[in-house]
Amino acid sequence: MGNNTIIKVEGLSKQYLLNKNNAPKSDTLFGNVMSGIRNLKDIASKKEMIDFWALQNVSFEIEQGDRVGIIGRNGAGKSTLLKVLSRITPPTKGRIEITGRVASLLEVGTGFHGDLSGRENIYLNGSILGMSKQEIDKKFDEIVAFSEVENFLDTPVKRYSSGMYVRLAFAVAAHLEPEILIVDEVLAVGDAAFQKKCIGKMKDVSNSGRTILFVSHHMASIQSLCNKAIVLKNGQVDFPLSDTDACLKHYLKDVVTQAKTEISSRTDRKGEGNFRFRNIVLKDKAGYVINAAQTGADLTLEIEFDLAKDNITNLALAITIYSDEGREMFTLANHITDQPFNNVNRKNVIQCHIKQFPLNNGSYLCNIIAYKDSVIEDYVLEAFHLEVEQGDFYGTGKAITTNQACFLVNNQWELK
Amino acid sequence: MYFTSIFVIYYTKITTPPKLNHEKIIIDANSSSFFSVKEILHYKSLLRNLARRDFLIRYKQAFAGILWALIKPLINILVFGYISMKITGSANATSSFLNVASAMLLWQLFASVFTDVSNSIIGNANLFSKVFFPKIIIPLSTILVCLVDFCISLTILIVLFIIAGQPVHWQIVLAPLFILLTIINGFGIGLYFATINVKFRDVKFIVPVMIQFGMYLTPVIFSTSYYLERLPTWARWIYCMNPMVGAIDGFKYCLFGGDVIYNMNYFIVSICVSVLFLIIGIKYFYKFERNFVDYI
Repeated sequence: MGNNTIIKVEGLSKQYLLNKNNAPKSDTLFGNVMSGIRNLKDIASKKEMIDFWALQNVSFEIEQGDRVGIIGRNGAGKSTLLKVLSRITPPTKGRIEITGRVASLLEVGTGFHGDLSGRENIYLNGSILGMSKQEIDKKFDEIVAFSEVENFLDTPVKRYSSGMYVRLAFAVAAHLEPEILIVDEVLAVGDAAFQKKCIGKMKDVSNSGRTILFVSHHMASIQSLCNKAIVLKNGQVDFPLSDTDACLKHYLKDVVTQAKTEISSRTDRKGEGNFRFRNIVLKDKAGYVINAAQTGADLTLEIEFDLAKDNITNLALAITIYSDEGREMFTLANHITDQPFNNVNRKNVIQCHIKQFPLNNGSYLCNIIAYKDSVIEDYVLEAFHLEVEQGDFYGTGKAITTNQACFLVNNQWELK
Repeated sequence: MYFTSIFVIYYTKITTPPKLNHEKIIIDANSSSFFSVKEILHYKSLLRNLARRDFLIRYKQAFAGILWALIKPLINILVFGYISMKITGSANATSSFLNVASAMLLWQLFASVFTDVSNSIIGNANLFSKVFFPKIIIPLSTILVCLVDFCISLTILIVLFIIAGQPVHWQIVLAPLFILLTIINGFGIGLYFATINVKFRDVKFIVPVMIQFGMYLTPVIFSTSYYLERLPTWARWIYCMNPMVGAIDGFKYCLFGGDVIYNMNYFIVSICVSVLFLIIGIKYFYKFERNFVDYI
């Protein structure tokens, strides 16, 4: 172990056993009784299990003060690694040595109880995160000030707005002071002002000298926060712990290759699956299929999909387009434009029309999501790769280069 | 909403870099932990806060609130006290009611510790699947809540004693020992079932049945002598394997003195079974504790 090594991971593996024949759950009372009897019979004869290695032979060393980003797509083993490091689940093989106090933040507001008041929840959540009563007492005022819920401290948190709830949860977590902080990607759903405040805090972290392990899909935040990174793929180390830029480069190369594979064959998706994206086709103004979009030209995205049932109601779709550095460019969402799909059947064709495509030439990636009544039906990250070619946006035959603009905007000049 | 959100971490400003305290943690496939008082003391703030939470939410939005801790045992005492008096044909109603009341309160303490401990692990899965802490803290915290309820219901017994003008013996100072023994019984068996509950939710249905039948096999309504006098010798030994026999008889002895303890040998067997259950419960719990998250 080196002088400054704070976390040393050697040959870490984690195996999960899954039932082989996952018999579908019965909907009827009789079916349930029968499956109960079958289960009783199965206890005697050991069920056939398949093993699944969530982590395989992962090794690395982290030095004190390193801010390490863990990168990988869904199912790469990032969250499992964090869970093993924070002692939530034991490894199957391998060894970890950690020097110092660890705090893990895999979720905000762990243990929050709706019936308890804000004050009671601060103490409960703080003690779950490992703070002593004295520590919480000392920081109580700071926590309250940060969360901006002073006037509702004695109100049960179930009466809070979702923004207040998250602010309070964040505030407690933000006042932890461990030597090593393990953070899973955390969704900030607070309002814009609060998000700004969080980013300010985030900047402070960089100079605190503490060791941080951080998982995120958001490449821009990895880039701005972490000085080192490691890439995981299928439970194995795909690119060893090294400088963030080198890691990101490796990962994005991989992502682009992945994004070229068809969406229907992607397995790293989330959601209920009643609606599933099959493919996304780019079409030009005349309806011809094209390979790349063109700046300034009208573009149509045609979504091909599969349905589990004959039709689906209240469908909301969203496509987020972002640059290959991970910066979001824009989001197309039918519930924002107030054009909900109240009833979609298999014969329907879904199209999204964009007039005068505004992005400058370059490579872009898209996340796609479908949900019904705020339940996610299908969610694919880096679902497809959008290539944009230079085009005549202004109709003047003149172009603006990518180092001057990533967006093109119509403008009129006038001399009065 | 997710796509407009940002992923952030942030932190309080720390002026001085942290000092390494060289407290080394080693995690590997075989390391296991075992019951340690030092560890529990280290997490005492969590223990207290979990107990506080359970206590606060137990009677929230209930109109009668904490009164329920009195009403439930009171109804039981009245019903079973009456039954006891009728069946045994005892002429002394006060003694019947006092006996049933003291046994019933202890039995309810056992029942609530047993039920709550056996459900505690799955009920708090959301906590230990996100944060590390010794899982034994969870069942321990539920004991505290049951104990508060018990203390409230003890007022019934005190009032009954005053009404009946029952004299208090010196043995009363030993009563806490048998309350402790009751908790040990509920905790030991409860831990065993809490562990099974992680994988087989059938426990949720088995525990109430056990409590219901267990009450008739325990000297709650009738005294130990009532049972033993009707059993052959070999069956007496089996009867005394019930760990609650020792606890309830001991408690009655503390309250009423005299010859409540039918036979010292049976009494000692019962207490040994209690200790055995506690050891088995703790061992079984710690054998699987590390893997709970993977099975929940």
